[in-house]
Amino acid sequence: MTAIVSIHNATKDYRLGKVVVPALRGVSLEVAQGEFLSIAGPSGSGKTTLLNLIGCVDTPTTGTVEVAGRNTAKLSERELTKLRLNTIGFIFQSFNLVGVLDVFRNIELPLLLQRALSGPEREKRVFELLDRVGLRDHARHRPNELSGGQRQRVAIARALVTRPSLVLADEPTANLDSVTGQNILDLMKELNRTEKTTFIFSTHDARVMAHASALIRLADGKLAERGELGPTTGEAAEHAAPSSAGAAP
Amino acid sequence: MSGYWETFLVVVQIALRNLFASRYKTLIVGGIIAFGAFLVVMGTSLLDSVDRAMSGSIIGSVAGNIQVYSSQSKEDLDVMGGFAFDANDIEPLPDFARVRKVLMTIPNVKQVVPMGINGSMVLSGNTVDLALAKLRQSVTARGQGEQGATANAAYGAEKDHVRQIVSVLRGDIENVRKLNDQRALENVDLASVSRAASPEFWGKFDQDPLDSLEFLENKVAPLATDADMMFLRYVGTDPKVFAQSFDRMSIVEGEAIPEGKRGFLFSKYMYEEQVKLKTARGLDKIHEALTVRHVTIAKDQELQRLVREASTQVKELLLQLDGPRTDLFRQKLQAVLGSQETDVGKLLGQFLNTTDENFEQRYAYFYKELAPSLELYRIRVGDTLTIKAFTRSGYVQSANLKVYGTFAFKGLEKSPQAGSLNVMDIVSFRELYGFMTDERAQEIAGIRQASGAKEVSRENAEAELFGAAEAKDAANTAAATVDDLSTELAGLGGTHRRDQDKGYDPAQLEQGVILNAAVLLNDEKQLDQTVADIEAAGKREGLPLKAITWQKAAGLIGQFATLMRVVLFTAVLIIFAVALVIINNALVMATLERVREIGTLRAVGAQRRFILAMLVLESVVVGLVFGASGAALGAILITVLHHVGIAAFNDVATFFFSGPRLYPLLATHNLLLALGIVLFVSVVSSIYPAWIAMRISPREAMQSEE
Repeated sequence: MTAIVSIHNATKDYRLGKVVVPALRGVSLEVAQGEFLSIAGPSGSGKTTLLNLIGCVDTPTTGTVEVAGRNTAKLSERELTKLRLNTIGFIFQSFNLVGVLDVFRNIELPLLLQRALSGPEREKRVFELLDRVGLRDHARHRPNELSGGQRQRVAIARALVTRPSLVLADEPTANLDSVTGQNILDLMKELNRTEKTTFIFSTHDARVMAHASALIRLADGKLAERGELGPTTGEAAEHAAPSSAGAAP
Repeated sequence: MSGYWETFLVVVQIALRNLFASRYKTLIVGGIIAFGAFLVVMGTSLLDSVDRAMSGSIIGSVAGNIQVYSSQSKEDLDVMGGFAFDANDIEPLPDFARVRKVLMTIPNVKQVVPMGINGSMVLSGNTVDLALAKLRQSVTARGQGEQGATANAAYGAEKDHVRQIVSVLRGDIENVRKLNDQRALENVDLASVSRAASPEFWGKFDQDPLDSLEFLENKVAPLATDADMMFLRYVGTDPKVFAQSFDRMSIVEGEAIPEGKRGFLFSKYMYEEQVKLKTARGLDKIHEALTVRHVTIAKDQELQRLVREASTQVKELLLQLDGPRTDLFRQKLQAVLGSQETDVGKLLGQFLNTTDENFEQRYAYFYKELAPSLELYRIRVGDTLTIKAFTRSGYVQSANLKVYGTFAFKGLEKSPQAGSLNVMDIVSFRELYGFMTDERAQEIAGIRQASGAKEVSRENAEAELFGAAEAKDAANTAAATVDDLSTELAGLGGTHRRDQDKGYDPAQLEQGVILNAAVLLNDEKQLDQTVADIEAAGKREGLPLKAITWQKAAGLIGQFATLMRVVLFTAVLIIFAVALVIINNALVMATLERVREIGTLRAVGAQRRFILAMLVLESVVVGLVFGASGAALGAILITVLHHVGIAAFNDVATFFFSGPRLYPLLATHNLLLALGIVLFVSVVSSIYPAWIAMRISPREAMQSEE
């Protein structure tokens, strides 16, 4: 089992004026290919910082973060951007679709940035994903014509359109009602199962955590626990043993 | 390859949609840009057209492409005269033939026109003098025994006219006495006029007419001299070459100065402005304003002033009326005005106090009924003009020149600038300017011989002058002592003797002194090169030649276009500086509003240059779209104006427009210039916002909306 993400004793400090705020205080973590990992923890515990490091939008102050076998600290800004484009998909809490582009273009955007596929190939890929997220009829709609759930499904399609090996989701259901949130989670899990895409998502919703195959809990910038969960045993998370080793789903 | 294109299209799409999303901001920014581009296209096209037209006016009227004069001159040459009345202090070039020969070796030189520009006061016999001269003729004729009914009647009429003039003058002086401090007036003048107006004076006139005439000529006539002085600027030249070189010149009245003849041509503009009866000139001006400019007397202050002047200043007109004509005018004016007034002066005042309703009718009446009985011009074509000018050494020199006609430059008939110079032959000019001509040298030699004066060196002059008791005539002695002095004095004495119709050898046009010369070119584009060539040729041949372009030669007027260009570009600069700040602000605001979107794009995998392209493109699209529409609007307007023309709003504009209407031409390089500026401003104004945008971290995408 290869690790898609491996973090060794990573710290991250932020500077607020003259004050140095430690956001992560030494985290080590291995995430295996195909995991459906939930990062839990209260606000300010370092969830978003950890996701930033994994998502290559930030680099650690000390320690190493390896994504797809590459040490992010040693990559240039351009290479990091390239890594994000080709390896990672992002799903945001507020969906973050480009408002002036329609659904089809929003999903196509990463492919256009990649410049790897021809027009017809891109179209085929986008429509495949539109089918998967059930929005084929909405291809020409603007984001503001869609409901929250529909927007997040567009965002998921966008995250997956480049066939990334890793999808990061930052509180993907926080802005959705519980039924819609459930549907989104079901969709993500299904994609995880069929495409073998690794999902890492942050949440502080216990019901969301219950869907994860593995769970880590952060507190004060440190890894508080890591537990393996069965596909359906939500409560198990509460009693999982701390671990730093990757586990099979 | 296609990948780049597709990506670019998405950038365009995002840019356009963003612009549309913030369309009000886009419209405001675009409006400013469009206005700026419009101004650039309009302004530069108009200025180019004015520049072209004006260069035509200047080159075509007197300056030529290049003016050449002595590099030893103390002042710069200004052929248009600028605002000064006196001519520039230009060092003469002694041998025109040589100058011409040297200049003609330069292949681009087509023609060289000799010139000298100066100005002087000119005395024309005024109405009083003319009337007295006529009377004197009759008196002389009677003295020689000429009698008869017609001669007697004419004599009577002439006496009446002079009496009429005297009474008008007396009325004038008394008016002045009422208005002014009495001490301001010479009592002698009043006494003279009163005597001349008295019945006793005229009762005794026939007893000693010559004595009475002398009194009138010496004591009374000078009181009416205010109207007979005029300042004329003239260019002395080879009339034939001048007319050939400046082919816009055409004779309006009379004929060109014949070859080998001394003579004077009035510029039609000056002739109308200075020589025409002021009342008639005033009426012409009002007529033109009403018919050409379509203004009204009721609304135009300038016209109101002209009407006021015409109706109050009727003296010049009254002086022309002798007894029978006074009666005729009284009769006609009473009829046309339906008035019982008997004072012709008051009737004229009433007649000339015109309004918008009656002007055209009275204007027509004036020319049809009154003008035939009047001398409309103080100097007529064919008359002899006495020009008195100060020579360079300060003596007064005079020449009698026949007025052969009037001329105008086509399209510039109404321009005071093109019409400010009258033309005379350069041989007469040299005399007036105080240069020795062959003819004068011979004449002086003749005087010397006749008076027995001997050549005296400068050192001995004093001893000769004061020691030689036999010297009969101090003037002649002095004439013999110093060469240049002799020229002046001989001139003073010689004027009356010389026959003004006496010609000169055409070769003299070539051989002799000039002040400057106009050079016409084969290829006008090689202007600067030819200027350099001329100065180089001068150096090589040992001639102190200075060459200046028409623009410089025209002085301030030549700089006008340059000045306007500075004003225009300052305005354009300000507009685009404002546009730059506004666009910059708008883009910074837009960027800050779009931090999350830009962060998301970055997180999803867009490189910084994608963001840069997106923002610059937005600004460039706004710049190009609105800049192009502004420029197009300007282009359309110029094209329309090219067909319709812009009317010259006044006489000065005629010169700048090189005719009554300017037909501006759209210059394509002005379009490119406008778009270039707009593009530059767009790109520059998006640099700072783009820099901000590029520094937006992809982390911003992760920040949750609070």
